Amino acid sequence: MHAAWTVKHKPRTLSAVVGNRETIEKFRSWVESWSKRIPKKRAAFLYGPPGVGKTVCVEALSHDLNMELVEKNASDYRTAEMVQRFAGLASQYGTLFGSRRLVLLDELDGVTGTADRGGIRAVIAVAKDAQCPVVLIANNSYNPRFATLRRYCLLIEFKKPTVLQVVKHLKRVCAGEEIEAEERALKFIAERSGRDVRSAVNDLQALAQGRNRLTYENVAWLSSRDRKEVIFSVMKTIFYSRSCAEAKRAVDATDVDPDMLFQWVYENVPYQLTHPSDLVKAMEALSQADLYRGRIRRTRNWKLMRYVYDFMTAGVAMAREKTKPSGWVPYRFPQRIRWLGQTKGERQMRSAIGMKIKRKCHVSSIVAVKEILPYIRIIFENNTQMRADIAKWLDLDDAMVEYLAHAKTRYLKQ
Amino acid sequence: MSYEMWAEKYRPQTLSEMVNQKEIVERLESFVKTKNIPHCIFAGPPGTGKTTAALCLTRDLYGTGYREHLMELNASDERGINVVRETVKTFARVRSIGEIPFKIMILDEADNMTGDAQQALRRTMERFTETCRFILIANYSGKIIEPIQSRCAPFRFTYLSRENQDSYLRRIIDKENVQVSDDGLDAIFEVARGDLRKTTNTLQAAASLGRPIDAETVYSVIGRANPIDVREMITLAMKGDFIGSREKLREMILKYGLAGVDIIRQIHIEIFRSGIPEKWKIKLADAIGEIDFRLIQGADEEVQLSALLARLTEAGHEMKRGV
Repeated sequence: MHAAWTVKHKPRTLSAVVGNRETIEKFRSWVESWSKRIPKKRAAFLYGPPGVGKTVCVEALSHDLNMELVEKNASDYRTAEMVQRFAGLASQYGTLFGSRRLVLLDELDGVTGTADRGGIRAVIAVAKDAQCPVVLIANNSYNPRFATLRRYCLLIEFKKPTVLQVVKHLKRVCAGEEIEAEERALKFIAERSGRDVRSAVNDLQALAQGRNRLTYENVAWLSSRDRKEVIFSVMKTIFYSRSCAEAKRAVDATDVDPDMLFQWVYENVPYQLTHPSDLVKAMEALSQADLYRGRIRRTRNWKLMRYVYDFMTAGVAMAREKTKPSGWVPYRFPQRIRWLGQTKGERQMRSAIGMKIKRKCHVSSIVAVKEILPYIRIIFENNTQMRADIAKWLDLDDAMVEYLAHAKTRYLKQ
Repeated sequence: MSYEMWAEKYRPQTLSEMVNQKEIVERLESFVKTKNIPHCIFAGPPGTGKTTAALCLTRDLYGTGYREHLMELNASDERGINVVRETVKTFARVRSIGEIPFKIMILDEADNMTGDAQQALRRTMERFTETCRFILIANYSGKIIEPIQSRCAPFRFTYLSRENQDSYLRRIIDKENVQVSDDGLDAIFEVARGDLRKTTNTLQAAASLGRPIDAETVYSVIGRANPIDVREMITLAMKGDFIGSREKLREMILKYGLAGVDIIRQIHIEIFRSGIPEKWKIKLADAIGEIDFRLIQGADEEVQLSALLARLTEAGHEMKRGV
């Protein structure tokens, strides 16, 4: 119930993956060709921008063809030794239980640092001698470090799906969550995500969770063009005013939600005021503004709001003394709002698991999350037998097991 | 073979199985012999056997049916005064049936109880002494109010020695058939430092990799289990990368669910450990203290800690200029 929608509504079968039809067919026929004989290229290299369905596609295909998927996230396994350990798995086609095996090395971009050359060399060795289909995934296959590797791989490029294809997927998610959504709202989310399906689903969850209807008005405030211009002009006033009065007028002129404005200012301070002593003054002003917000919450005395405004407008404006003007620096959308949306499901999931651990391990759910969960995660990622037994022992549901075994850092990667 | 968390599977069941805290165990065993125990406070760092000792004591005292005579409450999850007024009182007032006339109430993480709840508890402890004995478990006994402390027998638990750790681990290693090299054991002790829960979890996580455990395995496990690197965050700020360090902070708070107070405590420790000029340590302590105070007043954790990171950024800048 609290899972991230990107995980919960991940396509389980290939036909549910949106976009890239021909690409997917090419990939499927390569994997299927293994059942006749070992093809010339023993590894496939899937590449393309984030959130277009590379990993999902591999997972869905292994499900459709009933293959055992052995998946490793390469950013965890960067050294040659780590990759070699993994290579052992690729050395046999069948598994003990008769099903065929598909080996996936995900997020290969993580193995490209100068310290990891051995890592790439080891991947090449795996690709050359594999006895079962090996799939490599990266965002950018043209990274020079992959030059040699590319020669041993079938290159398969994933492109961004169209807005309508993204909308199609969002509709499916909405149906699953029993949310009635306006087409226009979904289209807006799809466009804004830059056709990154994962990020679109994350945005959808942030905007729609807890509602049963999603209208265009619900989403349009996010960054519709006029809204953005209003915020931008307020920001410009705040960061460039030379007097308190001028800075304070910035908020009078608009009806921007003060909490929202605070987040905008807070996000952009370090980009606008780059000199450390200016930065300190501006952050101190925001800290004061925040203190007053707390006092208002406690005392319900809204008269104090004027001090919040003082600090977050004039306080920030007056901080500028030593920062040299350096041309136009674009204003950034508050990352914190995005993070909060994206990590909400994760936080809820963690505390639900904490409650399960608490029942067995004589600790509070808070201690469980902090001190026991991280170890369970490592165990779940590495040892399927222990995973099954501990999951049963703790009475974890499938979503929890999935979260612990695959949580990685995927939602936050971008 | 069945797996659960080894920390539970191998948790001692009786006092005689405990490998450490010999003096405490002896005294608790004498309570069992006389079938009488006072109210107790078990204080000490995590993973040193406080909860285990309380459970073992109860089991030794009542035998197999001990569950009927025991209530375990965790004050971090149920910290308010209503829990004391209702749950605790209801349990404490009813006489136990059997040879021993009192029941046992274990209040774990009792240092997280609110002041009000502790005051209420104090009266409950007094009124129902005949029917219920309390074992309060805490990391810091100082956070338990004086009147309660004076009604309890205090027991101070300390970190396990290397010998304690090894004798405990040897049993698990044999039973679970894992291979650990000597430098693996050294590494476990190095990272867990006598916290037996951490010790055991580290061993199990390392064992899950399915190969002999050496020092490197242990360190890689610990690295994965503690993605929270306060030191790295501080270094980034001091190097002038405020934006990067704020990003780390967000990760800690939003992704890993760390509490602001824990982060600031860690910052405080790290600053004094670091190699920065001595006079700066004091200057920064002042800044840290101020932000800590604001957090206590209920301000926003990320905003306040970011303000502190900005201070560190400025400090780094000035140190470079030799101010």
